[in-house]
Amino acid sequence: MGHAQNKDYSQRDYDAIVRDGEELISTHCCFCGMQCGMNIRVNKEDKSVLGVEPRYDFPMNGGRLCPKGVSAYRQAEHVERLKHPLIRKNGKLEQATWDEAMDLIVSKIQEIQGKYGKDAFGIYSGSSMTNEKCYLMGKFARIGLGTKNIDYNGRYCMSSASVGFNQSIGIDRGSTNPWSDIKFADVLLIAGSNTAECHPLSMPYIWGARDRGAKLIVVDPRQTKTALVADVHLDIRPGTDVAIANGLLHVMIEEDLVDHDFIQNHTTGYEEVKELVKKYTPAHVSEITGVAVDKIITAARLFGQAKTGMTMFARGVEQHATGTDSVSNYVNLCLVTGKMGKKGSGVATFTGQGNGQGGREHGQKTDQLPGFRKITDPKAREYIAGVWGVDESEIPGPGLSAFEMLQALGKEIKGLLLICSNPIVSSPTVGDVGEYLKSLDFFVCMDFFLSESAELADVVLPSTVWIEDNGTMTNVEGRVLRVKGIDRTPGETKRDWKVICDIAERLGRGQYFQFNSPEDIFNELRVASKGGTADYYGITYEKLDKMQGVFWPCPTEESEGLPRLFEDLKFNFPDGKARILAFEHKGPNEKTSKEYPIILSTGRVVFHYLSGNQTRRIEALRNLCPDPYVEIHPNLAKKYNIEHGEPIKISSPRGSIELPARVTKITREDMVFVPYHWGKSLAINHLTNPALEPKSKIPEFKVCAVKLEKIASHAGEKHG
Amino acid sequence: MAKVLYIDYERCIGCRACVIGCEECSGHDHLSRMFVDELNPGETVAASPTPCMHCVTPACAESCPVQAIAIADDGTVLSASLEKCIGCKNCTYACPFGIPRVDDVKKVMYKCDMCYDRTSKGRPPMCASVCPTDTIRFVDEHEIKSEPPKEVQFKWDFGGTVIETRTVIGMPDTETNRYGFREGDGVQS
Ligand code: SF4
Ligand code: SF4
Ligand code: SF4
Repeated sequence: MGHAQNKDYSQRDYDAIVRDGEELISTHCCFCGMQCGMNIRVNKEDKSVLGVEPRYDFPMNGGRLCPKGVSAYRQAEHVERLKHPLIRKNGKLEQATWDEAMDLIVSKIQEIQGKYGKDAFGIYSGSSMTNEKCYLMGKFARIGLGTKNIDYNGRYCMSSASVGFNQSIGIDRGSTNPWSDIKFADVLLIAGSNTAECHPLSMPYIWGARDRGAKLIVVDPRQTKTALVADVHLDIRPGTDVAIANGLLHVMIEEDLVDHDFIQNHTTGYEEVKELVKKYTPAHVSEITGVAVDKIITAARLFGQAKTGMTMFARGVEQHATGTDSVSNYVNLCLVTGKMGKKGSGVATFTGQGNGQGGREHGQKTDQLPGFRKITDPKAREYIAGVWGVDESEIPGPGLSAFEMLQALGKEIKGLLLICSNPIVSSPTVGDVGEYLKSLDFFVCMDFFLSESAELADVVLPSTVWIEDNGTMTNVEGRVLRVKGIDRTPGETKRDWKVICDIAERLGRGQYFQFNSPEDIFNELRVASKGGTADYYGITYEKLDKMQGVFWPCPTEESEGLPRLFEDLKFNFPDGKARILAFEHKGPNEKTSKEYPIILSTGRVVFHYLSGNQTRRIEALRNLCPDPYVEIHPNLAKKYNIEHGEPIKISSPRGSIELPARVTKITREDMVFVPYHWGKSLAINHLTNPALEPKSKIPEFKVCAVKLEKIASHAGEKHG
Repeated sequence: MAKVLYIDYERCIGCRACVIGCEECSGHDHLSRMFVDELNPGETVAASPTPCMHCVTPACAESCPVQAIAIADDGTVLSASLEKCIGCKNCTYACPFGIPRVDDVKKVMYKCDMCYDRTSKGRPPMCASVCPTDTIRFVDEHEIKSEPPKEVQFKWDFGGTVIETRTVIGMPDTETNRYGFREGDGVQS
């Protein structure tokens, strides 16, 4: 049993090797939305974690793993794992008992809420955790604490894709197609995604398409490992995605490469777009984006002429003040050419966080209730109130979004519970965020390593690592899958879901949190999502095991889920038509100036995950990429007399840091690139612009204006 | 049918999962035997992995004074035998690809042996198992040499001496993309 499409995936026909005295725990990687399957080698006797063994039969990755995946298990026995609760005493975090910690947490919650009202205690949650935990956090905030202020780090990740998909096609599933469909595309347009490094396990699919002769168009300011092998690399100036898409639309319309039947029967808004893009001639777009005219024309022809094709994008498109416009504009490319709802045709966003997809479906977003329901929708509120067994009025309204919440710390929000996130590395203006966290009356953090954020907490609770977790995750395709943990809790670690239920109990709200296992929570989640957009009702643990994961929506017990959306060409709007939306190019929120003449863009490297709290501790990964650097084009380096490896000062209106230069031709001359996986004085987020996209509230991480300076001690040593 | 490594340079992203994966093989003492090099640093991000080339007539084995390097029935050139190796480093000089290394503490040579404990049981070596991009594949030797999917190389001319390797290299397509070999001029501004 399994989806028909599973045969088109990249699994391989081998079985795993089991060594003497060991057992294999089949689970999934804790990093990134590919959610690769893997086997963890565990000592049968003492349950210690020994290594990793490929799991060849999981459809998505067929045993393949990127360097993070191969070494992920090394966290489990890591010496720096938190094994006891910690309480701050005389300014220092000291070992404490669970009882002390829980008493303190509960009394502080009560004190703060008593004094300042329910909403004064907030939750900043994460998306690298199971669906069960994500759901529980949303419920705990509303019903356990009665606060409206819960949001999560996925806000920094894919919220623009979410809004963009919703406004264009009416549903927010990261991919309209199963990943195996990539192989059947005749053209792939990948924008703002260094797929090779950030989602390496997508490469077998992309190569699969290439082997069939598919053309590859990459839109990226850098010649990344993905762009290196493209047929056309549209090396745009950061922040000009709307313009480049308008340029492509212009050429396709001009040369009549559009699908008139599809437009006529299944979309609205085409005429408006046609009108708007008239002025986006290749020459004009070339001026805005810096991409050569002939490349724009070639790309448009390749895309327009292909029978099937997909547009795929990631944070390079989304983390902008115009992120949602850009997402919808890339979706437009598929809509005007009729590339939707069939094998090899559709749109996708690469999920950054492990459970970026599931994390945004089950109500830990401040404006949402489980199943992607709007928290302001009276019907949705009534339904969820029924599931939770409370009065509708008990469910608070929408609160502050992630970054707004951080800015409110110490002001409207006096107490904070942080779980599975490290905002002091991952937020813009991290220097200020540190101050906000310090201004809290009470700050409790749940994690398995002492992250930079946890270092500031009043209480730190030791969690289990993912290998010890049981539950479900939802991958980049919308495939819900099982993670099965080793049954152990080293030291005094506890499972997050139990701790949350325990706090609820102590707050007198235990009646709503009577769960005995993650499966219990999942079963409630199923009901809570029933009838919503992300409908999980028909998904059971049993079915997940049998089918190697099930795609949502899966509304009934008989249903086997829906790997490919829109095969009936009915989009999720009352009239069934997709929306072709028109956007003018506005550019980034912060423009370069005389004082700050260079564009800074940030992103990932293949060796690290998000804030680096986990991957920086894994020796093999740390050795491969120990520190951040500034990627700078030789011509720009020459202008500043900077040599490869030399430290330089890089500053924006918000702060400055010093990093070594990496001189390379892969980046544009008008920009520099810095990876963001480090904290404290190495955090590039000291510089980034906190400007938020108005609809998705994602900060504009991908563009800000900076200046470079040679560090004084080196100045004058060289001339010319 | 004997299976060999097929390496398509063009696909390598330099992620070194193969290097870390190599450490996971039970015969490897958590010591990697795989090398990954950047082809043209500063110009492009192109990279390439180098496992043992498993020569048909291996210079390392031929140069070994104590015959510590065995060749398995399927042609795999194995790592030195712990009992025999005297750590003299002859093999490291003899190998034209620079593959064998000597552990100076244990005084023993180590090199890629195609994860013999895995391949002998019909599973691909760890590098080919984990490589996320399908750069390294474990394929039928005859097939890849006679009907390659693209231009391949498995005969190497070292100053007149031609060495045939069992590991097969797929050559990058430098016509349709610049990859790592043509002088790059970087992206435009
Ligand atoms: S980080 Fe992503 S691509 Fe790498 S092994 Fe984990 S899930 Fe797979
Ligand atoms: S694992 Fe594959 S892609 Fe990564 S460095 Fe090795 S050969 Fe290259
Ligand atoms: S180092 Fe060992 S394997 Fe190499 S030549 Fe000397 S004895 Fe032989």
